Amino acid sequence: MSEASWIVVGVAAAYLAACLALGTLSSRGQAASTVGYVAGDRSLGLVLMYFITGATIFSAFAFLGLPGWAYTRGAAAFYILGYGALGFVPFYFLGPRAARVGKKRGFVTQAEMVAARFESPAIAGVMALVSAVAFVPYLALQMKGAGLVLRTVTDGAVPEAAGAAIVYAVVLAYVLASGVLGVGWTNTFQGLFMIALAWGLGLYLPSLRFGGVEPMFRELLASRPELLASPGLAADGSAWHWGEYGSAVIVSVVGFSAWPHLFMKAFTAKDARTIRRTVLLYPTFQIFLLPLFLIGFAGVGIAPAPQSPDEILPHLLMQLEVSPWLVGLFCAGALAASMSSGDAMLHAVASISVRDGWIAALGRALAPARELFAIRALVVLYVIAAYAVAVIYEGSLVLLLLGAYGAIVQFMPGLVAALYWRRATAAGVLAGMLAGGGLSLVFVLAPEWRPFPCHAGLYGVTLNALVLVIVSRVTPPSASSDAFLRDAAGR
Amino acid sequence: MRLADAALALYALVCLAALTWPGLALVGGAAEPLVLGLPRSLAWHVGWVALSFVALALYHRATRGEHEDP
Repeated sequence: MSEASWIVVGVAAAYLAACLALGTLSSRGQAASTVGYVAGDRSLGLVLMYFITGATIFSAFAFLGLPGWAYTRGAAAFYILGYGALGFVPFYFLGPRAARVGKKRGFVTQAEMVAARFESPAIAGVMALVSAVAFVPYLALQMKGAGLVLRTVTDGAVPEAAGAAIVYAVVLAYVLASGVLGVGWTNTFQGLFMIALAWGLGLYLPSLRFGGVEPMFRELLASRPELLASPGLAADGSAWHWGEYGSAVIVSVVGFSAWPHLFMKAFTAKDARTIRRTVLLYPTFQIFLLPLFLIGFAGVGIAPAPQSPDEILPHLLMQLEVSPWLVGLFCAGALAASMSSGDAMLHAVASISVRDGWIAALGRALAPARELFAIRALVVLYVIAAYAVAVIYEGSLVLLLLGAYGAIVQFMPGLVAALYWRRATAAGVLAGMLAGGGLSLVFVLAPEWRPFPCHAGLYGVTLNALVLVIVSRVTPPSASSDAFLRDAAGR
Repeated sequence: MRLADAALALYALVCLAALTWPGLALVGGAAEPLVLGLPRSLAWHVGWVALSFVALALYHRATRGEHEDP
């Protein structure tokens, strides 16, 4: 490797070591129980909650996919800002109710809560299964991102598979050691680091190539005006359809809070006030994404073009021959993005598999110590599974991910019904979830069957809500519904 | 429905319409002119994110008396 490569790798390694130290030291004082490991003893204050939820949107996608979208598809990428405006608002209402009933009845996962409300282990099983299937490609994508960054900035000296392995070994170490507190403290550190880096690069790269942000857009207005007008371009470079754009925004607004690694944080918060304030401050994190759009636009017209659009940011750094110290910092920031989403997902999916799959759905009781051991064992298992998918699977991860999002959105009607609607029944929620999930899966696999070009998940979630209401109306509600809703309302 | 709830629900609908169709198609989605150095389409999105923050903050303030913690 060249001297520059050594500097890059050195900075990234120092960063990984700092994360490892912070992540493993942060569990002190936390109870050695599932509530400690999964829900941080329900003690998280505003700062940790803010960064733990905020850093999850700064995933590997934010540093690689988002600039890649802006670079090739222009204004289409703005949908990410569009759903961010309202995306977390449902949680403002659902979160505090879930926290109340969770505290009273000892829940740490969302499926556990829904299943208890409807006295239906089957619901817990379906939700656990869907979560497991949805998270593996999502995690694999984070790993691929980490590998891709290390390969690009070292000119291939660190192969993708090796890079992903090193980075996720660090994540594994601190997720195993300290659970949600490790995730929380590293995400706080990583969040601050990413914000600083994104703004630094977002202002620096346009000025390096175009002499500033405004001159950049003036030039793009003259050369590529179609990139800057909504709804931007489709993947093949043709104009994107309004139906696709609008429904992508709506599905994301509806489904965002239903992602288990976000929703479960209702059970980690100190109190309802903390949840409300976290949601309130969330759009500030969204604004931190702005510079990443600027970086993508700064790459327009670069020659030679990167192999894939996802590489545009590291590619720009290499082409513009910026200082290796800066490349090293970028590398650390992109790894931070990958890790800070990957750790939360990993932690969530392992807890869900054990609590909802094994204990609730299959009815196998576990002693507390065994339960914690099982969750940790599954953390390891999921890292291996996702790594295998990242390294072996050659097909489109984005397609898998689209399918996953379509499936996760289907949790939302059931969550709302569980926390608000007395008349909802187990049969209604289950039928809705299966019908909606099925329909959205069909449309993901066969997009040409859709009557109108809209996001597959939107068809699914609409059918889901309809079926939920109709089937609930004709089946008897469970006797314990009233008591559950009273606990949720805190009366 | 209380006034604050109704106002927030109305805001959410307006915001969604502004960020999808017809708001973005007819008003906010054009590339020109540049607003604070950004294309109008990008500035429009940033503006609505900021406005949503303000709207929810106002709602939070208006309903402050009703939050009791578990």
